[in-house]
Amino acid sequence: MAKKPVKITREAPAKREPESRSRKAEAPVAAPNGASRPAVIVVGADKGGVGKTTIARAILDFLSLNDIHARAFDTETPRGTLHRFHPDETMIVDLTEPADQMKIIDTLNTSKAKVSVIDVRAGGLSPALEALDEIGFFDAVKNGEFRFVLLHVIGPSISSLEEIAEIAPYVADANYFMVKNHVNDTTFFEWDPQTHAKYFEDVVTSGEITIPKLSELAYEQVELSGAPFSTFIANQDAQGQPAEHSFVLRGYVRTWLARVADEFERVGLRELVSEKRR
Amino acid sequence: MTGRTLAFFVCSPHSRTGVTTAARLLTDYFLSRNADIEGFDTDFRDPLYALFFPERTRVVDLNDVKGQISLFDRLLVADERPKIVDVWHSSYERLFATIAEIGFMEEAQRLGVEPVVLFQTDIAQSAANSALVLKTTWPDLTMSVIHNRGASPLGPHSLAVLARYPASGKFVIPRLEAPIARALDDVDLSLSRFMRAPPPEMSVVVRAALREWLLPIFTQFQSFELRLALQSSQCLR
Repeated sequence: MAKKPVKITREAPAKREPESRSRKAEAPVAAPNGASRPAVIVVGADKGGVGKTTIARAILDFLSLNDIHARAFDTETPRGTLHRFHPDETMIVDLTEPADQMKIIDTLNTSKAKVSVIDVRAGGLSPALEALDEIGFFDAVKNGEFRFVLLHVIGPSISSLEEIAEIAPYVADANYFMVKNHVNDTTFFEWDPQTHAKYFEDVVTSGEITIPKLSELAYEQVELSGAPFSTFIANQDAQGQPAEHSFVLRGYVRTWLARVADEFERVGLRELVSEKRR
Repeated sequence: MTGRTLAFFVCSPHSRTGVTTAARLLTDYFLSRNADIEGFDTDFRDPLYALFFPERTRVVDLNDVKGQISLFDRLLVADERPKIVDVWHSSYERLFATIAEIGFMEEAQRLGVEPVVLFQTDIAQSAANSALVLKTTWPDLTMSVIHNRGASPLGPHSLAVLARYPASGKFVIPRLEAPIARALDDVDLSLSRFMRAPPPEMSVVVRAALREWLLPIFTQFQSFELRLALQSSQCLR
């Protein structure tokens, strides 16, 4: 999917051009033409309780079902909700710690997993983007070394839109998707078109992803199982052993995950993360 | 027995077409053959079908996921026990929407459970359209219509009305005279036991009329069951 341009028009401190972005970027590490460019998918929001980890889990299932090898980083220290569901491919990290930054960025080219999903804890999106900017990650993205996808999970209230201004400086070279998460039957504030346009003066998104509602009971049972959605659907427990999950609940989760996958396909997420190096 | 597990959905999108009567007759037919059946009444407000078979039926509210679980998870148990669902007209849309959403038909086929829709006819075109929607959505679905001449007469053009339905078979439930039909209102009257030994206190006239009414109905069910068994018979493939 073609990346949309970002224009920054409003004057605000948060929208300043970050220093590192004006630095002359180092030459990207060469890789053979046709090889997959490592992709980083950041899932985040500055609001809590909007379902970031649910989206990250759905992405990991989506990638796995499409045979795309992925790894994940959970910045919710020390608990690590994403780690609980995907322990084998998830590492708990603190994005502000250089040692952890190295674990992510310095291994992008060498890791077998060509997609890294970073689940940013509540309130941590702006600091995380700032940290990535400081270490020159966005320069590498600009130089075509990596692909960067940002899934910004917004809450139902208009205050969520205010976050957009804060992250705008970092999404110039990103594929920036706004995610409306209805998984818990959230009703979104019907934004007045003028209000909506005001916030989007600063940033043009690559698309909007709508996560459909999932039956509360089904969602709750997956939570209790502590297994990925696809494992629950396959009627297995978190250890991969046969389970006794209700067929009805598995059916609801299967249909929901298929709809979520349709949304990811619609916005071209699969092509984005598996795009070959030019 | 067919060797397979049959899951019957006796249904109509409209009220007062005789769905509960048909579900009751089918249940009593299996009981008369000593088959162990499991029934489900989706009319959680006024569960008449469950009143006839309190020991064998459960009342489910399909608006509630827990109700859906207690229905569909049981229907998918391939134990060769016929399952009969009395689909309340108000639950009709919800039932088939849920079936589609959870992928029930595909799972049933995988597990060796055969869903059978017994669609109660009525004169409204919308009923036939609803049946057509089911058959279009699930082309391999076994569907037969039930024409209850007493509860839902189709008028002088009954053959034309029946032709609108995309069903592969037809059951006819003859009309019953009102005084005889009143005997059926007794929830303690078991039609399967009646066929074996009519209650001695029952009027001889009612007994004879009921027996004459029930026999052809049970014969049709038996014929249908045998047909299903033949269709699935490995030796005939």
